[in-house]
Amino acid sequence: MSANQPVLEIKNLKKYFEGNTDIVDMIMRREPSQIQAVDGVSMTLQENESVAVIGESGCGKSTLLRTLIGLHDISAGDIVYKGTPVSEFDKADWKEYRRNVQVIFQDPFNSLNPKMTVRESLAEPLDIHGIGNKEERVREVLEQVELQPAEKYLDRKPTNLSGGEKQRVSIGRALILDPDVILADEPVSMLDVSTQAAVLTKMKELINDFDVSMIYISHDLSTVSYIAETVKVMYLGRFVESARTKRLLEDPKHPYTEALVSAIPVPDPTYDRERTEMSGAPRDPIDIGEGCRFRDRCPEVIPPDDIEIDQQAYREIMSFREFLEREEVGLERIEKIVEVNERSALVDAVQREYFDHELTGKNESTLRSALTSLADGNEDLAIERLRERFESVCETTPPEVEAEPEWHVACHHHTEIDRTTVAGGGGTDATGDSGSDATGSVAHAEHQ
Amino acid sequence: MSEPLLEVDDLTVQYETDDGMLTATSNASFSISEGEFFGLAGESGSGKSTLAKAIIGGLDDNGQVSSGTITYRGEEIQDLSDKELSQRIRWKEISWIPQGAMSSLDPLQRVSEQALEIGNVHTDLPDEEIRDKLKETFDIVGLQESRIDDYPHQFSGGMQQRAIIALALFLEPELVIADEPTTALDVIMQDQIFTYLDRLKDELDISLLLITHDISVIFESCDSVAIMHASQIAERGTTDAVHANPRHPYAFMFKEAFPDIREPKRELEVIEGHPPELMGEVDFCSFADRCPWAAPECREGAPPTESVEDGDPSHVTACVRKEEAYEMYRSDASPIDDGSGAQSIAQMGEVD
Ligand code: SF4
Ligand code: SF4
Repeated sequence: MSANQPVLEIKNLKKYFEGNTDIVDMIMRREPSQIQAVDGVSMTLQENESVAVIGESGCGKSTLLRTLIGLHDISAGDIVYKGTPVSEFDKADWKEYRRNVQVIFQDPFNSLNPKMTVRESLAEPLDIHGIGNKEERVREVLEQVELQPAEKYLDRKPTNLSGGEKQRVSIGRALILDPDVILADEPVSMLDVSTQAAVLTKMKELINDFDVSMIYISHDLSTVSYIAETVKVMYLGRFVESARTKRLLEDPKHPYTEALVSAIPVPDPTYDRERTEMSGAPRDPIDIGEGCRFRDRCPEVIPPDDIEIDQQAYREIMSFREFLEREEVGLERIEKIVEVNERSALVDAVQREYFDHELTGKNESTLRSALTSLADGNEDLAIERLRERFESVCETTPPEVEAEPEWHVACHHHTEIDRTTVAGGGGTDATGDSGSDATGSVAHAEHQ
Repeated sequence: MSEPLLEVDDLTVQYETDDGMLTATSNASFSISEGEFFGLAGESGSGKSTLAKAIIGGLDDNGQVSSGTITYRGEEIQDLSDKELSQRIRWKEISWIPQGAMSSLDPLQRVSEQALEIGNVHTDLPDEEIRDKLKETFDIVGLQESRIDDYPHQFSGGMQQRAIIALALFLEPELVIADEPTTALDVIMQDQIFTYLDRLKDELDISLLLITHDISVIFESCDSVAIMHASQIAERGTTDAVHANPRHPYAFMFKEAFPDIREPKRELEVIEGHPPELMGEVDFCSFADRCPWAAPECREGAPPTESVEDGDPSHVTACVRKEEAYEMYRSDASPIDDGSGAQSIAQMGEVD
């Protein structure tokens, strides 16, 4: 393997599922739809590097991991392992890959076979891959994961281990074949906090000692600094921001990352953190189009250039149209909520119910005419009227991901900033005060 | 200060097991005032959930209050029959947001039907009034009133959580007990839920007993806190005082085990081992096997609960070596002579 060849390259990877699987859909006879679980994800993993993929449940991070270990076939894109795409793997390549890419799962309570002793659990991978010297290797690994003295643990079954001990056995099992890559899926989330830190620091130490690379998947940004140098934030199937861990925590750029970082509780009663203003939860990644994944919740969603509008009022209009488009508010439901049936009263009532922020001029009249169409039972026209005036660049074009070294953000706000930087001369020149990387100059530019 | 709404005094709760009486809560005392948010923190195995269940008479069949009292508005309730609790206390006075709340909605019933069921058991209100109350509460937790007749699957995850909170609150209880209400939720959703809980406090003057392993959440959202370890309350006081001057080794180590996003490189404390299962009377410090400062005297009796002199009259701790241990911890003197165990992993570096 050449010096700079990444261990693992993920190239525009997509994993779509056919929808229509749950019972509600079947009852409602919905058309099968595409669930865009992983939707164009790219990253490289260098030797000895530890990268975190962080996102909320449903963001696609677990699907990504399952796709990486061959549990799902790939819908588009590719995974390249030490220069060979998995699409070209033969049987022997897969075996080699499975040996060298090991997984640590979330639940130490289920991932170990309850009938096997620690010795058996650790020896099993060695058996499968026909490796001798088992006892010695097993003891060595137990020592490395700090389950000492080995005698104390070798003959125990999982029921006689604490959560932290079990997870250490899982880690040992993943390391025993000397893999190149560890994929860790929420490895500490089931553990008590007092144990989480120990397991994470241990893992970090082991990746260094063993020359292993790691993709660490988690919902938890608060502990990520203990395990990964780089963080990628995932939202509805895509990476929205990647940066060095410290930088991402201190200065998140993408509106979603900002929301995520600012919602983390701070263990200090004297610190006055503001509660999140974000409402709702991520939508399902079904038929989601090409625009920004976060557009239905983003507080900074961008109005068209040619209209003047208060940002919060704009957010309300956009959310309302989203509701209509996703059929979450139909006329029937609205009538129930506002409890008036007369058309003109209905328009007023809907406006009162859904819009807190004041609108004026053409913005107001467009909204009123859309609501009138809605009250007349013509939802499509209502949507059309709103779309015509208020359509956002965030819905129509996917935000660019800037290929700056060590900093990527997929948001129109930041691609603009970046263009200014380039236009202002110097591009990625080190003009920022920290001075040594492109990140510095971008951050600097924003504050000018 | 107003008269406490709930007072737990010297409470011991035990479970009958094949091996004898397992003590889940041992001589625990605390009180909650009107409008107060009180956090009960500890690892799994600390006894915090048992304590909460004891308050509403929800212990498993083999569990019992062995001694001590639970007083609600001046009335002892620990010996009330299930029927009495159900008719007079549960839901109307003290309600409950269960652990793993997401799965506590019945998928086959409309939310309003579930509310009627609860309302009919615990009150004699007419159905229409119950529905009205549910509507009002939906409004407070940010759900549209018309949605009370929806089935749970028609709600997104966050909305379900809010519907559950609404179900706990619609009969206007004085005290809500929430057992890990946001564990397993993503942080943004957790924060949304607490936004609503804050609002309940402001608008309805409700008291909350929040049970969680996550002390960050308690420090942010509660007025007072009790930190429990293996059946005993190690330390309790206002969150400000316990945060600023923790004295019990478990309290300060537990606190330091939590990451703080503001200091991503801080070394996190590691508490080796796990809370022991305790049989019979707990006449020793239950942290002794894990405590780096344990001395023979720690096993000679349950440490008395004593005041921490720091200006907060409610601040108490139960450690026989409280000042010494804290001093040693502060000055970073190695507590363990043979250098084994306890802190070795904590000293390992973190990531750049
Ligand atoms: S592209 Fe638009 S909607 Fe997406 S994060 Fe940026 S501002 Fe928000
Ligand atoms: S010093 Fe003794 S009493 Fe105090 S916490 Fe440690 S073991 Fe318990």
